[in-house]
Amino acid sequence: MLFIIAWRNLWRNRTRSVLIASSVALGMWAGLFIMAIYFGMGDSRLRIAIDNEHSHIQIHHPRFADDFEAQYSLPFDSLNRILQQKPEVKAFSLRSLTTGMVATASGSQGIQVNGINPGAEQATRGLAAFVTEGEYLDTERRHPVLVSTKLAEKMKLKTGGKVVLTLLDTASNMTSGAFRICGLYRTTNAPMDELNVFVQKDDLDQLIGTSGRLHEAAVLLHRDDALDPVFHRLQRQWKGYRIERWQEISPETALVLSSLDTYSIIFIAIILVALSFGIINTMLMAVLERTPEIGVLMAVGMNRWRVFRMVVWETVLLAVTGAPAGLLAAWITVAWLHHTGIDLGGIMGDTLRNFGYASIIYPILPWHNVLQTMELVLLTAAIAAMFPAFKALRLKPVEAIRK
Amino acid sequence: MDAVIDAHNISKVYNPDTIPVYAVNNVHLHLNRGDFAALVGPSGSGKTTLLNIIGGLDIPSDGWVEINGVNITGLPPNRLIDFRLHNIGFVFQAFNLIPVLTARENVEFIMLLQKRPKKEREARVRELLTAVGLEDKMDIRPAQLSGGQQQRVAVARALASKPQFVLADEPTANLDSQSATALLDIMEKLNREAGMTFLFSTHDRRVIDRARRVSTLVDGRVTKDEPGTTPSTTA
Ligand SMILES: Nc1ncnc2c1ncn2[C@@H]1O[C@H](COP(=O)(O)OP(=O)(O)O)[C@@H](O)[C@H]1O
Ligand SMILES: [Mg+2]
Repeated sequence: MLFIIAWRNLWRNRTRSVLIASSVALGMWAGLFIMAIYFGMGDSRLRIAIDNEHSHIQIHHPRFADDFEAQYSLPFDSLNRILQQKPEVKAFSLRSLTTGMVATASGSQGIQVNGINPGAEQATRGLAAFVTEGEYLDTERRHPVLVSTKLAEKMKLKTGGKVVLTLLDTASNMTSGAFRICGLYRTTNAPMDELNVFVQKDDLDQLIGTSGRLHEAAVLLHRDDALDPVFHRLQRQWKGYRIERWQEISPETALVLSSLDTYSIIFIAIILVALSFGIINTMLMAVLERTPEIGVLMAVGMNRWRVFRMVVWETVLLAVTGAPAGLLAAWITVAWLHHTGIDLGGIMGDTLRNFGYASIIYPILPWHNVLQTMELVLLTAAIAAMFPAFKALRLKPVEAIRK
Repeated sequence: MDAVIDAHNISKVYNPDTIPVYAVNNVHLHLNRGDFAALVGPSGSGKTTLLNIIGGLDIPSDGWVEINGVNITGLPPNRLIDFRLHNIGFVFQAFNLIPVLTARENVEFIMLLQKRPKKEREARVRELLTAVGLEDKMDIRPAQLSGGQQQRVAVARALASKPQFVLADEPTANLDSQSATALLDIMEKLNREAGMTFLFSTHDRRVIDRARRVSTLVDGRVTKDEPGTTPSTTA
């Protein structure tokens, strides 16, 4: 009966209840929508970081990671063999790396030269998909080099043109080689693009003397959740090597992802606080209006605990009627935008790309976050209910009835 | 005779520290089972204050109240609420009913608080609403009932808990004379047939005349306590 009273009380001031319920719905919608955008951004950043940039795990010579000198290399055959045997590994790329310089009539620019096996690199980070002009490295041409559109613009390089790269070999001596530009590429990460050029591993090995060796093994797994177990096993297997997960290779990505989480929590918290003020205000008004009635209930023998529960029920019902509407609206909005994507490129230009984000965002709304938000809304309503409920408790029947 | 209410030298002072108001001044009141008694006095004479103290809604500044031999003055608040629920029926001047509950639910509610079984509740609600002549208005909310009908529902609710007695503070104050008479008829019938004890306050002449006992309050003091002018036991 307390529940019935609470429910019917809700409809006594219809306008007010509808207003509050719709602000709950609106708050819920806004909260979930912003969260979905954050998660969408985070998810796309994560996928880019793993699938197109760093892979899940990278293996280096421990001193290579510190000094970036070509002399610190690892044996090719044993790594190749062992990585091939791991069922969790989807693909891996064994790279030779060195620093170098590209010089043209337009000036000179420091670069990082990646010696790769085109097939392995493609399987690991899908580089061919980012080729915007010309061909990928799996070309018939001799000594091909793939450079970014950004570098090409800056140095006035053209597909099919020749370019001389000056490189440091294993003994830190300068050496140089002539390459033919087979194509241009462009990823979502502008700063990385400017720095990296790609050549075939054999070509680079010959120039700097790293045949049968490698500097970097990038390992892509089938599943994200296999990361930690595989990581720990590799660590045990190769004690002398530096083995890192993407979080360690790119701590800024990990930081950005966790700060997205924090932002969405802060955002939700602000909405909930605003919501609870609305609820408290409404219910205090309701209690005030019904003072004589509550007084009669207490006079005829309804105890304080029941009065308390009646008010809490009403408050929670108020929130509960609004929440599903907001949830549904958010779900529809997010599902639709997940399909079409939100193109922020128009508003923000290359800003997002310069920070390594795709400029089209696909919002996502994981179920457990929806449930969590629902719980938070209910919890907020229940906490907000305390104030008006205590107010009702403190009414003295004699005074309430005289009003 | 069987004493239901024993109020011993009750006094109530409001604002004792600033401008004291002696609302009730050293009043003794004794009511037997089956009484049909009126507390009479002009507005401001202390009727409501005295009834509230007797009903355990207010605490006297001095004196104590025994209901059925139990001293209720000084019971802890929660015990007092429970005592009211099981022993005292209330009819107030206004705002008696919960507006969102139907007549039936308003009466049933009190028995729900008492945790009575469903069967018993349903039977008693029907019986009581029939007794107050509202058997065809059971599923109507208070707003659709006239003032007199609302007070009749309030009487039915007051009796639903099977109390020791019913306190009614100016139950007819907001009613036209026809409705007032009808309400009094019902209360009197319940008194006569079910033996329910009533103590009601009023300053309405027609109501006073129906009482079998009249205590007159003036400025918080009982000035007269006498049998009513037209005892209805002969009816
Ligand atoms: N809460 C209160 N504070 C101060 N004075 C009060 C309060 N309640 C009642 N009084 C005073 O006590 C006196 C008796 O009031 P009341 O019991 O309501 O009389 P009645 O019901 O006969 O009209 C009046 O003078 C009234 O003003
Ligand atoms: Mg009064």
